Amino acid sequence: MAADSVHKVIFEHEGVFIHPSSDEDTIEQDLLVSGSLRIIDKDGEIIVEYRPLEDTVDPSNMLCAGKDSSSVVEWTQCPGDRSHQLLETQQSYETEWDMINAVSFRKRPCSNREGSLNHSHERTRWALTFSVSELRSITVKEEGWTFLICKLKEASTPLPALHFHQGGSREFLESLRRFALLTESPDDEMCLLVSTPNKALSQSFENLLDDNSFGLVHKFRKDPYVATLGGFSKVTNYIFDALRGSEEQHQRPPEEVADLLGEVIPGLEINQQEEPGFEVITRIDLGTRPQVMRREPVSVDNWTKHQDPEGRMINIPHLKHTIFKGGLCHAMRKEAWKFLLGYFPWDSTLEERKALQRSKTDEYFRMKLQWKSVSEEQERRNSRLRDYRSLIEKDVNRTDRTNRFYEGIDNPGLALLHDILMTYCMYDFDLGYVQGMSDLLSPILYVMENEVDAFWCFVSFMDQMHQNFEEQMQGMKTQLIQLSTLLRLLDLAFWNYLESQDSGYLYFCFRWLLIRFKRELSFQDVLRLWEVMWTSLPCLNFHLLVCCAILDSEKQKIMEENYGFNEILKHINELSMKLDIEEILQKAEGICLQIKSCKDLPHSVSVILGFDSNISSSDPTGCGSPPAPRPIQRQDVCSNGHLRKNSSHNSCKVAFIS
Amino acid sequence: MTTKTSLLKVILLGDGGVGKSSIMNRYVTNKFDAHLFHTIGVEFLNKDLEVDGHQVTLQIWDTAGQERFRSLRTPFYRGSDCCLLTFSVDDNQSFFNLGNWKKEFIYYADVKEPEKFPFVVLGNKVDVTERQVSTEEAQRWCQENGDYPYYETSAKDATNVAVAFEEAVRRVLAMDERTDHLIPTDTVKLHRKPRSAVPCCS
Repeated sequence: MAADSVHKVIFEHEGVFIHPSSDEDTIEQDLLVSGSLRIIDKDGEIIVEYRPLEDTVDPSNMLCAGKDSSSVVEWTQCPGDRSHQLLETQQSYETEWDMINAVSFRKRPCSNREGSLNHSHERTRWALTFSVSELRSITVKEEGWTFLICKLKEASTPLPALHFHQGGSREFLESLRRFALLTESPDDEMCLLVSTPNKALSQSFENLLDDNSFGLVHKFRKDPYVATLGGFSKVTNYIFDALRGSEEQHQRPPEEVADLLGEVIPGLEINQQEEPGFEVITRIDLGTRPQVMRREPVSVDNWTKHQDPEGRMINIPHLKHTIFKGGLCHAMRKEAWKFLLGYFPWDSTLEERKALQRSKTDEYFRMKLQWKSVSEEQERRNSRLRDYRSLIEKDVNRTDRTNRFYEGIDNPGLALLHDILMTYCMYDFDLGYVQGMSDLLSPILYVMENEVDAFWCFVSFMDQMHQNFEEQMQGMKTQLIQLSTLLRLLDLAFWNYLESQDSGYLYFCFRWLLIRFKRELSFQDVLRLWEVMWTSLPCLNFHLLVCCAILDSEKQKIMEENYGFNEILKHINELSMKLDIEEILQKAEGICLQIKSCKDLPHSVSVILGFDSNISSSDPTGCGSPPAPRPIQRQDVCSNGHLRKNSSHNSCKVAFIS
Repeated sequence: MTTKTSLLKVILLGDGGVGKSSIMNRYVTNKFDAHLFHTIGVEFLNKDLEVDGHQVTLQIWDTAGQERFRSLRTPFYRGSDCCLLTFSVDDNQSFFNLGNWKKEFIYYADVKEPEKFPFVVLGNKVDVTERQVSTEEAQRWCQENGDYPYYETSAKDATNVAVAFEEAVRRVLAMDERTDHLIPTDTVKLHRKPRSAVPCCS
């Protein structure tokens, strides 16, 4: 605990970068050093300090930057406050990495100590400190972002340029102006000459100079998204009007629409390609559906019990099963989702995860820089990037705006949503941005509260959802076919009814499947459903059984009211926000157990739910679900659930006879 | 029952973000939400109205505008009585794309006589100050492309929204008088179960 001299942070900005690749002796061409820039009043001396992120932080001596990053409050540390090991690890990680976020939502502790740094990492050689009185000039340059080149009076080695990839250069200069006189050089208007008169004098100059330099500062390009986020008023109530029938109507038969959809979703044709021939199955007796109970969410304690001293997760099957049965308490999500989504390997140590995050942070910002540094001229010649950006800007403004994390006009959550989606375009330019992706990202960002982590978790989720968004929407077609197959097994009468209403290909489930019920459930319920799904329990494609569970609850109404094509679509669309997730999960699990215990399961169903495949044998069903016989009818299933070519002689298309 | 109600299907087409859903919701529920979700898939709302003594139920279809979703959007074009081509006056690109939307509609709706089909063009978001498309430009396009009625609308402040839908209905009714459209001409497929003519729903 160092009792250092008193110093006050006057300005602080994170996400300032040094590009060592412009340095001639660099070996790491790709390395970007990110760090925070501060102006510190140290016993009356004004110091500019740049510190790369790797610096160790002593949490016992922290100052916390206020929201505007220029007001600083003392961080009062209560002993034992953060004694919990888990929170502590999270804390140190947050401390290191939250700094590079363009915005953060919590108090950000930062080291204010000098000279006590443990320069173990190579990067720390980029740390720099100088007194404002040593400054000769600051040159302001622009390359899609602003960077500043500081020159000292006693020219030793040149200082590396400071790149403000996340803005803040204007604020930095403004803060500096409180202590130094910045005047445009007669030779170069982009060069500001620095002189440091006494304080009183500088104060008196302040107003005068503000005007002078405003023009220059004003030229700084604002981040493009800022302009688009404005101009929207508060959310008003929005209610769908109920569909009211009139006494007598003639309605155009929607068969044509249905026929066309049938062509678009060539359901059975795909099955036919894979499964020539027919397997005629008479109505299958599924037996009664077991009643299952949901459990309490996994608590912090419970999670910690599944962690060894190095931070590896242990007894993972049990842990996953507990998550499947009850979800996670909210406090646990930020950490647990990283494992569930595969961003963190379950068997990694805490140290390994920190290293992983470091390299992933570099990778993220490298990609972010790619679109951030595209000039307007370049973008004019890049229609795909332009289209992606335009759509992202529009959709960010229309995603979860009633959630406190994204509400209001200048909410930083919106900027993060935008930046992550733009960076994802650079990560996967072929896919780019497709509508629906903002819905998938929003809950992840809400939980992560961190740009980099949210990005990589989103990448993992998109790996699962990718096919839904591809040009041919193959993922959607496959899922609709699979769902149809399951529904025929579970409830042939209902499926026949749907078919009679030209709805047998289940188009009305499109939104459910495209974005995994994101629009159907309340935000909190989406979080619950997704974490349950990500356990990959209790079978493959559990989300399809979730569909079946919801349809099971609606079929009576649909059939009794004799809904047609349009009414079914409308009825399903209007279920949005009226569903109870725990009830649905209970029913879906019951359906799973019911199908699992069925002895004469059609082969196609076993394939869809993974009952045949060997990979599902790793399912940690050690507790809870009763051991179910795995009906194995065919041995010719690959691990990916697809049939092998040579199996065609005995595989077949399933036909149901009621 | 003395009055006969016709069900007219109108479809809103246009680029993502021009305000298709907002126009529909303003018209049907008289509400506006600037932060309404972008549409995924296909939705529709019904609205009863009377135009020139005719009882009409408008079935307004709203689709996702992104190119990627074309194959799942276009089947719903069938059976449309009117198409509302929508752009946003603060978005040049959405105006340039009107022609593509028209083409897509005519192709997939399988319109028999495209030159006679009632299109109505909506320039939405007239409440915004920074316009990129002038009224004259838009009117010229409408004239050159088939003399379509053009309305500058604002779903936000309700400008011209109801007027535009009523005009759409008038156009359809005028067509119907020429072609005796009120008698269903679609061939009924015999293997299909005839559906109830009375839509229900809460």
